[in-house]
Amino acid sequence: MLNIVRVTLKGIFRDRVFHGILAVAVVFLAIPSVSTLSMRQVTELSITLALSLESFILLLLAVFLGGTSLWKDIERRYTFSVLSLPITRSRYLFGRFLGIALFLILTAAVLGAGALVAVKVVSSGYPPDRPVAWGAIMAAVGFDALKYVFLVAFAVLFSSLSTSFFLPVFGTIAIFLVGGATQQVYDYVHSAAARTMAPLVRQVATLLYYLLPNFSSFDLKVNAIYAVPLDYHGLALTVGYCVIYTSLLLVAAAAIFGRREMK
Amino acid sequence: MNMDNSPAIAIENLSKTYKGKKRAQVEALKGMSLTVDQGEIFGFLGPNGAGKSTTIKCLVGLIQPTSGSARIKGIPVTQVESRRSMGYLPENPAFYDYLSAEEYLTFVGRTYRMSADQLTTRCREVLRQLELWDARKRPMRGYSKGMVQRVGLAQTLIHDPDVYILDEPMSGLDPIGRALVKEIIIDLKRRGKSVFFSTHITDDVEKVCDQVGVIVQGTLVAVDRVETILRSGVEGYQVHLRTPAGEPAAVIAGITPDRSNGPLAEYAVPCARFNAFMEAVNAAGADVALVETKRRDLEDFFLSLVHDHSPHR
Ligand SMILES: Nc1ncnc2c1ncn2[C@@H]1O[C@H](COP(=O)(O)OP(=O)(O)O)[C@@H](O)[C@H]1O
Ligand SMILES: [Mg+2]
Repeated sequence: MLNIVRVTLKGIFRDRVFHGILAVAVVFLAIPSVSTLSMRQVTELSITLALSLESFILLLLAVFLGGTSLWKDIERRYTFSVLSLPITRSRYLFGRFLGIALFLILTAAVLGAGALVAVKVVSSGYPPDRPVAWGAIMAAVGFDALKYVFLVAFAVLFSSLSTSFFLPVFGTIAIFLVGGATQQVYDYVHSAAARTMAPLVRQVATLLYYLLPNFSSFDLKVNAIYAVPLDYHGLALTVGYCVIYTSLLLVAAAAIFGRREMK
Repeated sequence: MNMDNSPAIAIENLSKTYKGKKRAQVEALKGMSLTVDQGEIFGFLGPNGAGKSTTIKCLVGLIQPTSGSARIKGIPVTQVESRRSMGYLPENPAFYDYLSAEEYLTFVGRTYRMSADQLTTRCREVLRQLELWDARKRPMRGYSKGMVQRVGLAQTLIHDPDVYILDEPMSGLDPIGRALVKEIIIDLKRRGKSVFFSTHITDDVEKVCDQVGVIVQGTLVAVDRVETILRSGVEGYQVHLRTPAGEPAAVIAGITPDRSNGPLAEYAVPCARFNAFMEAVNAAGADVALVETKRRDLEDFFLSLVHDHSPHR
């Protein structure tokens, strides 16, 4: 499996799409000057920008690497030569997932460092009212990366089902949007405003809330920007949730991919 | 089960029906059985679309047969372990093109759990053997079709398995490449390896195979030793006689010469009349310059089989 991880990473590093996406990271250089355009809360703005940019790049990578990696192997007929080696389908799939996950974490670390540098530059020029919560910024980057690793598991599941890149890419984008909204929908359904709603609708919404992924607890931007203390117990739950959900997705993907015909 | 006595490949009653959209079905394999013994070179001959690649993909676990089973050295192909002692060359192969030949062979070798030392040695040997040494560090993206095909052969050889399953190994190669492949197969045979290769070119089979199986429309219509086919194919003899200068070539035992070539006359003699003809030649005191056997070659054998088993012909 390590072997597949290695090959996956080599593939990503030598891919032109990857070079293009990383070029976006150059925008980090612009953060200090853009932040100063704001009259107040310059440091807060720089943190917001840095985290959003990092998140956007990771999203692109998660969708495109996760959604196209398996599809490309099938489309270019690499699966014939690779899956006929003594590697089980599930090992191949997990290897691919781990390779992409590792790469996302690596990128998050590099971009996170970039974000810290950008914020440091800004905060030394425009000292903020309260001290910058460096730990919270790093936690925000880490949990953001975790969220995208989780998203990649969805991409892998969709890839194991589909013969084109359409479902993996757009399905993953859809999951990203849905996962970001589930908490809000749930909160709305259980709020006073929704009391007129049919009970059935409310039950369906609640069921979906438990089935669909919920990305809101991965979002620590507020903690990072306003130096709000972290809720460690909640974060531990989030990690557990992510690990269990991701494992289930991968097991399902492996079961489907194992039965798949390489025609 | 004693693995050492198991045949290299045993296929039992293998059927495969492809299900397409809107209930379209293709019965690509219809209950095929065959055995390839250890140390045997088996040519799997059939026209395009006969089901050769389908059979092979079942053998290497890329597709699941609709019914029937297959074993490699006694291990069912449903188990990953069956692929440990096997090397497979796909039809028109493609390999991770961002890797170089050397990197790819290392990747393949690792999946067979080869040690680093073994890998270094074998990589060098195999790359040299397939004339890829100079290109070994370049990404395969820039390789020609023939070079990719040679990488394909290299990755079957790297771990020195006992069983080789090659889907059209000569396709896409120039005459030099084809000769190289034949040489490799003959070398494998000398080292007691088993080779199962598909082709639609009879000449490839005639040169290297012990055994040939002919598949037409998903059914194995003949399996025989190549020598037996060649021997059974003798249809008659072409006898060249020297005629005395200036004399026209004579009719002998009722056979008229079909060609007079200067001092030589050629007679096409069917098997059944050969003895009578030669007696007449001796009685006339004629001078025999040359006797050639006229045989139906493998190609004729193949064409007549395909013809007999194609319903719409
Ligand atoms: N993926 C597929 N879906 C449907 N039919 C297929 C598929 N692959 C092959 N076939 C059909 O199965 C038959 C055998 O194909 P194949 O095994 O590739 O033949 P060969 O390798 O002998 O040329 C052909 O009629 C072909 O059209
Ligand atoms: Mg074929």
